[in-house]
Amino acid sequence: MTASSLESGSRGAGNKVGTRNVLAKIWQQDGPGYMFLLPWLIGFFGLTVGPMVTSLYLSFTDFDLLTDPNWVGASNYVRMFTADPKFAAAMRVTFFFVIFSVPLKLAFALLVAMLLNRGLRGLPLYRAIFYLPSLLGTSVAIAILWRQLFAGDGLVNQFLANFGIDGPSWISNPRYSLWTLIVLSVWQFGSPMIIFLAGLRQIPQDMYEAASLDGASKFRQFYKITLPLLTPVVFFNAIVQTIEAFKSFTPAFVISGGTGAPINSTLFYTLYLYQEAFGFFRMGYASALAWFLLAMIAAFTAFSFLTSKYWVHYDD
Amino acid sequence: MTLRLNRRRFLMGSSALMAAGAVGLRPVLAQDGRIRLLFWGGQDRADRTYGVSDLFESQTGAAVDGEFLGWGDYWTKLGTQTAGGNAPDVMQMDYRYIVEYATRGAIAPLDEFVGEVLELADFDADQIEGGRVNDQLYGISLGANSVAMLNNLSAFEQVGIDPPDRNTTYADWREMGEAFNSSDIGMKALSDGSGVEPMLDNWLRQQGLMLYTADGELGFGEDEAVEWFRMWQELREADIIVSAEQQALDTGGGLEATMVVQKLSASMPSNSNQLVAYQSLMEDDLSISSYPRIEPGSGGGHYRKPSMFFSVAGSSSAKETAARFVNFFVNDVEAAEILGVERGIPCAEHVREALAPQLDEKSRIALEFVANLDDLLGPLPPPPPPAAGEIDSSLLRTISQEIAFGARSPEDGGRAFVEGARDILSRASS
Amino acid sequence: MTTEAHNLTVVGTESSKSRRRIISIVSHVILVGASILMLYPLLWMLASTFRPENEIFTSSSLWPSSFSIDSYIRGWNGLRVSFGTFFLNSFIISIVSVIGNVFACSLAAYAFARLEFRGRKFWFALMLMTLMLPYHVTLIPQYVLFLQLGWVDTFLPLLVPKFLAVDAFFIFLMVQFFRGIPRELDEAAMMDGCSAWRIYYKVMLPLSMPVLATAAIFTFLWTWDDFLGPLIYLNDMRSYTVQLGLRTFVDSTGESDFGGMLAMSVLTIVPVFVFFLFFQRLLIEGIATTGMKR
Repeated sequence: MTASSLESGSRGAGNKVGTRNVLAKIWQQDGPGYMFLLPWLIGFFGLTVGPMVTSLYLSFTDFDLLTDPNWVGASNYVRMFTADPKFAAAMRVTFFFVIFSVPLKLAFALLVAMLLNRGLRGLPLYRAIFYLPSLLGTSVAIAILWRQLFAGDGLVNQFLANFGIDGPSWISNPRYSLWTLIVLSVWQFGSPMIIFLAGLRQIPQDMYEAASLDGASKFRQFYKITLPLLTPVVFFNAIVQTIEAFKSFTPAFVISGGTGAPINSTLFYTLYLYQEAFGFFRMGYASALAWFLLAMIAAFTAFSFLTSKYWVHYDD
Repeated sequence: MTLRLNRRRFLMGSSALMAAGAVGLRPVLAQDGRIRLLFWGGQDRADRTYGVSDLFESQTGAAVDGEFLGWGDYWTKLGTQTAGGNAPDVMQMDYRYIVEYATRGAIAPLDEFVGEVLELADFDADQIEGGRVNDQLYGISLGANSVAMLNNLSAFEQVGIDPPDRNTTYADWREMGEAFNSSDIGMKALSDGSGVEPMLDNWLRQQGLMLYTADGELGFGEDEAVEWFRMWQELREADIIVSAEQQALDTGGGLEATMVVQKLSASMPSNSNQLVAYQSLMEDDLSISSYPRIEPGSGGGHYRKPSMFFSVAGSSSAKETAARFVNFFVNDVEAAEILGVERGIPCAEHVREALAPQLDEKSRIALEFVANLDDLLGPLPPPPPPAAGEIDSSLLRTISQEIAFGARSPEDGGRAFVEGARDILSRASS
Repeated sequence: MTTEAHNLTVVGTESSKSRRRIISIVSHVILVGASILMLYPLLWMLASTFRPENEIFTSSSLWPSSFSIDSYIRGWNGLRVSFGTFFLNSFIISIVSVIGNVFACSLAAYAFARLEFRGRKFWFALMLMTLMLPYHVTLIPQYVLFLQLGWVDTFLPLLVPKFLAVDAFFIFLMVQFFRGIPRELDEAAMMDGCSAWRIYYKVMLPLSMPVLATAAIFTFLWTWDDFLGPLIYLNDMRSYTVQLGLRTFVDSTGESDFGGMLAMSVLTIVPVFVFFLFFQRLLIEGIATTGMKR
C-alpha cells in the first residue's frame, strides 16, 4: 500500500525533475523487486525459456529425435483433434483421474492434518507414519506392492473374502484399474498434509479460545475460523495437486509397465506423450501434446485465480 | 574451451558447489583412445561385458567406458543422447529399433570394416543377414535365439500328462488344457497368446504368410486376423487359457508378473534365451519346447532371431576402434568364455565349438533347442518396418484385451486390427 | 502443544473435559487404525526383504518363514559400485539442492509476495507457467543446453538450477505463506526505515520458519527421489544416485534380484525418513519462534 502511494506521488512530480531523478525514482520503485527476483530471472532466461521456446517450435515440426526437424505447420495439432483416438482416450483417463483423485486426496490430507493438529500425544510419530507412503515416491517397488494388493488373489480380495465377496482382479480389469491408481495417489497424501499442517499452525490459537467461550461448536469453528483462514493453503494445494494430477506420469508408468494397459484404461496424458516421444520417435507430435496440456492447465489455473478473490482470504 | 572452464569455475566458486566438487564434478573431455559403450541388461550381463572390455583394453590399449541400464530407461537415454549429438560409440541395438536408427543415420554402416577389422568368415549367414538394413550391415548379432514355449515340467507331472514337445499342435494344447481342468492343480495349461506378436507371426509363417512383407506392408489380411482371434476366443470359452484379468497382470514389465511365474498357467510363449532367467525365479523345474504347430507336420514358423546387436554410432569419431571392439566381442574365444550364452547362442562357429563343453544344463537345453529346430525352422523374415513396435504395443495387445474382456467380437477385432495396422504403417512411411 | 492443552482445560468444564478425553481416545483409535492400513504394504515389503527369493511373490504374511539378511548383502554389493557411493552422491546432491532452493526461492517469493514493482503480475504468471509444462518435452532442449556448457556427466545440471530458483513449486508455496503473514509487521519495520533486504532478512525469514522447513523437507525428498534428471545427465556409475542405482537393478530382459531390489528400496527410504523425523522438529520449533502463538 505504501509503495503504491509513493508511486502516484512520484508520477505527479515527474515532469519537473531531471532524467537523473527519474531514473533514481524508477530504481527506488522497481529496483528492490528486480534485485530479489534476479536469481530467478537468470534461471528463467538461462535455463527455462530456451527449452520452452524450442519445444513450442518443435510442436510445429516432425522432429523424430534422430534427424533434423522439418516444419509441418499446424498438422500435429490438427491430427490431435481429428484423427487420434488414443488422444481422446488419454484425455478421458486424465480428466477422470484429476476429478476424483484431487478432491479425495485433499480432503483426506486436511482431515488427517486436523486430527494431528489437536495436540495429541505421539504427533511426530503419526505424522512420520502418514508421510511414509509418499517417501516411496516413484520407486519400482510400488509396482510390485500394488500387484500384491490388487491382483485377483491379492490382499484386498483376501480381506473381502471374509465377507463372502469375490473381488475381481482390480489392477488388471479395465473397469477398475484406474481406481487403483487413484487409491495410490490418495495413499501418498503426505505433501499436502504437511502443507496443511504448517498452515493450521499459523492460525492464532486465541481465535479458537474466543470462539469456544462464545459457545461455538467444533463444526462451526471449523467452518468459521479454520477454513477461511486456511483458504490460501487450500488454494495452493488445490492448484498444485491439480497441476500434478494433470502431469501425473510415474504411477501409471510403473504400474502398467509403460503401456497404459489394460485397454488404455490407465493411459495418462503424459504417458501417451512419453510413448509418442521416446517409444515411437514422434517428438514433434509429443511437443504439440505438451503444449496443449499446458494450455489446458493454464486455463484451469487462470480460472482458479480469477475466482479466488471470492473465496481465498489473504491477510491484506 | 577456456571460456567454458572459466564459467564452470566461476559457478563452482560462486556457490556452495565447492563442497561437492571433490566427488562428482569432473570436467567432460573427449578423451582420445577411449570409446563409450551403452547397453541394457542386469548386473550379470554387465559383469561379463566389463570383463571383456577390460580384456580388450589390456590387449589393445583402447579403453571402453561401459554403462548399462534397464530396458525402458535405456531407450530414453539413448534417444536423448542421440538427439544431443552425444551418442555412445558402441550401443546395444534391438531388432525392433535397428531400422529406425539405421534409416535415420543414427548408426553407421559397417561394411567398410568387414574383412579387415571385422572378421565374419564363419559367422552364421542368417545372423549377418539379420543385421542388414537396405543391403548395408548396421548391426553385429551378439547371439541367436528363438521363440519357445516355456513349460513348467513339475506342473505337467502333477497333472500326470506328458509335457509338450516339438510335435505338439494347437489341438493337442486344447486336450492338455482339459486334462489340467479336470485335475485339482488350480492352474491353466496355457496363457493367453492372442496378443503376443511373435506367436501370431509364427502361426502366420506356418501358413506360408508373414507379419510384414519386405516392402513394409502387412503380410496377411482380415480373414487371418479374424481366424487368429477366433481361435483364441474358442480356447478362452473352453476355459483352456487364463482369464482376461489374469493375463492383463502381465504388462510386459518384468519376468515376475508373467503367468508361469505367477503360477496361473503351466506354459506360455517366451524365448529360448530366457529359460535360465526364469528358472532362477522358480523352484519348479522348467524347460522349453517349440511353439505349437497348426497341424501335424506343418513347420517353418520358427527362425533364429538375432537376440541383440552391437551397432556403432553414426556420430562416432572413433568408428574403427569401435568396430575393433565389436569384432573382439564376437570372435575372441577368451571373451566368449567370459560372455557365455547370456546374450544368446554365439554366432561364430569357432566360438560356439569352444564354448559348448562348458555350459550348465539349462544353457545347454537352450543351445540344443536353437541348434535343432530342423523342420520347424523357416527363412529369416525381412526386418520389420519402423512402425512394427507401435503396432505390437499399442494395437495388437489392446485389441486382444478388448476381445478378451468382451468389448469386441473376434470378427470386429480382426477387422479393427488390420485397419489400424495399415493406418499406422502408412503414417510412419509418410 | 502443552500450552494449548493447558489453555483448553482451563476453559473447559468438567463434562466437556471427559468428552474431550473420549474424543482424544477416538482420535487415537482412528489414527492407529489408519496407520496400520497405510503401513501394511510397506511392512509387507520390509518382511519380503528377509525372505528367500522364491518366497517373495507367493507369501502375503508379514512374518517371513525364515530370516535372512542375504538380500541386503546381495543388494548392497549387487552392482559394480557399492550402494555406499550412491548414498554419498544422493546426500551431496540433496543437501546442496536444499540450500540452493530455500535461498533462491525465498528471495523470489518475497519479491512476488511483498514488493511492488512494474511487471510483477506478468512475471508471476510466467513463473506459474513453468510449473505446468510436462518435463518430458523440455528434456531434450535442456540436455543439449547442458551438453554445450560441458556439464553432462557432472552434478552441475542437477544443482545449478536449484540456485536459480527453477523449481517454481517452491516459489509458489512461499508466496502463499508470505501472503498469510500479517502485513502490519513489515509495514512497522518499513516505518522504522528498514530496507527491503532487512525486512526480508529480519522479519520475513524468522516468521517463515515453518514454510522454509517445509520447502527444505520437500526439496530433500524430491531430489532424493528424482530419477529422470540423474538418468539423463550422469553417465559414470560412480556418480549415480540411489534411485538410479535402484533402477539399474531391475531389468526387464532377464535376471532380476527382487529380494535385493526390495532391500535396497527399504534402505533408500531410511535416510529420507530420518531426515524427515529430524526436520519436522525444526518445523515445530519454527512455530515457537514466529510469535504467531500468543
